[in-house]
Amino acid sequence: MSPMKLCVPGERLCSTEDCIPGTGTYLRHGYIFASLTGYVLRKNEGEELPVISVVRETETQLLPDVGAIVTCKVTSINPRFAKVHILYVGSTPLKDRFRGTIRKEDVRATEKDKVETYKSFRPGDIVLAKVISLGDVQSNYLLTTAENELGVVVAHSEAGRPERAQMVPISWCEMQCPRTHAKEFRKVARVQPEYLQA
Amino acid sequence: MSSEIWSPCILRDQERCLLVMMGELSEDLRILSTCKLLQHDSQLLEAVFRTHRLSYETRGSRSKSLHDRAVINCQYSMATFSTAERKRRPHGDRKSSEMSLHLKQTFEAAVLTELYPRSQIDIYVKILQADGGNYSACVNAATLALVDAGIPMRDYVCACTAGFVEDTPLADLCHAEESGGGTSLALALLPRSGNIALLQMDARLHQDHLDALIEAAMTACKGVSKVLDGVVRQHLEEVSVLTRD
Repeated sequence: MSPMKLCVPGERLCSTEDCIPGTGTYLRHGYIFASLTGYVLRKNEGEELPVISVVRETETQLLPDVGAIVTCKVTSINPRFAKVHILYVGSTPLKDRFRGTIRKEDVRATEKDKVETYKSFRPGDIVLAKVISLGDVQSNYLLTTAENELGVVVAHSEAGRPERAQMVPISWCEMQCPRTHAKEFRKVARVQPEYLQA
Repeated sequence: MSSEIWSPCILRDQERCLLVMMGELSEDLRILSTCKLLQHDSQLLEAVFRTHRLSYETRGSRSKSLHDRAVINCQYSMATFSTAERKRRPHGDRKSSEMSLHLKQTFEAAVLTELYPRSQIDIYVKILQADGGNYSACVNAATLALVDAGIPMRDYVCACTAGFVEDTPLADLCHAEESGGGTSLALALLPRSGNIALLQMDARLHQDHLDALIEAAMTACKGVSKVLDGVVRQHLEEVSVLTRD
């Protein structure tokens, strides 16, 4: 990679006649200044002036946005909600684990008041959910599994080792352990057949 | 006062160390960046939390959010072991509220808040060891934390104190000099443009001396800004070398 120029906030990059300001820059008195620390990037956009922007080396990580499908792992459950750690947004893994909450009334679309979190999720389950809100000060994303395609994807049975195995879904609300044949309640996701691996 | 304290040289040619450590000092995911600063003998630990949206669900904070700008929330606190006498400091007391307000005003001048409407940026500063120049150490540390967090700013904010001793302006006062009854001027500066973000002075000063004092403080601030600049570039190179492969 060719060495790119480092810059810090407040450094004057060029004047407005040479470039158009992009992200990470601001205009002042006819000159373009950097507002972030990072590398200066000049991009040629056709006939117009090149766009100058400052990029930070650490990739701006993909943040879960409202309506995004995320893959998360259940960490704790509670009669009112389940707490999860968000691991993937779409198919990109996240560098940090964000925290999310699935409220009792967001677990499924019908009969919301009769939901029992203990019969929908268990700690350790991998769940597909959708973001409904960015959340409050504690930065817990609010998630929902109230759709057919959302819910538990991977779950392990309650049996101790060596019987403990990944359970197979039987219906939208039950999963069965292949070794002990015990059935357990979960809110199961209906994964499209082409995504299922043998 | 003994002669060692009142050494008459601007910006103290003797070692006035300014040690800075940047980077991930915390495991907490909510903290975006932390920075530890050691300015002469004052140490402080600083953390910038992630910017977060002030949502409608949080009671009361809807009124605090601005529709076109981010709100900067600063909290200043001193550890009980920071001063010579161990003293428990309650959280909302006058001195720390005043300092928090000053920090907030300083950073509202420097951070490009128009890019984050209806959001809040939290800056938490804790003084571990206080030996004068608390405000300036806070400002310098917060600048580094914001720069590390990637929050767009117009320029660095560098701060330093200055005072007068026997017609000589001194920069970067320590606790004994500040509380000695003389004038103490704290200046927060945006070094490249020379704009002053905050200027605060205690005690009385004849207006003829004011220019010299401000000049001394500005020179000191520019020195600080060079140190901060060097640290930021070095940290950036280290981080980029690590992530480049």
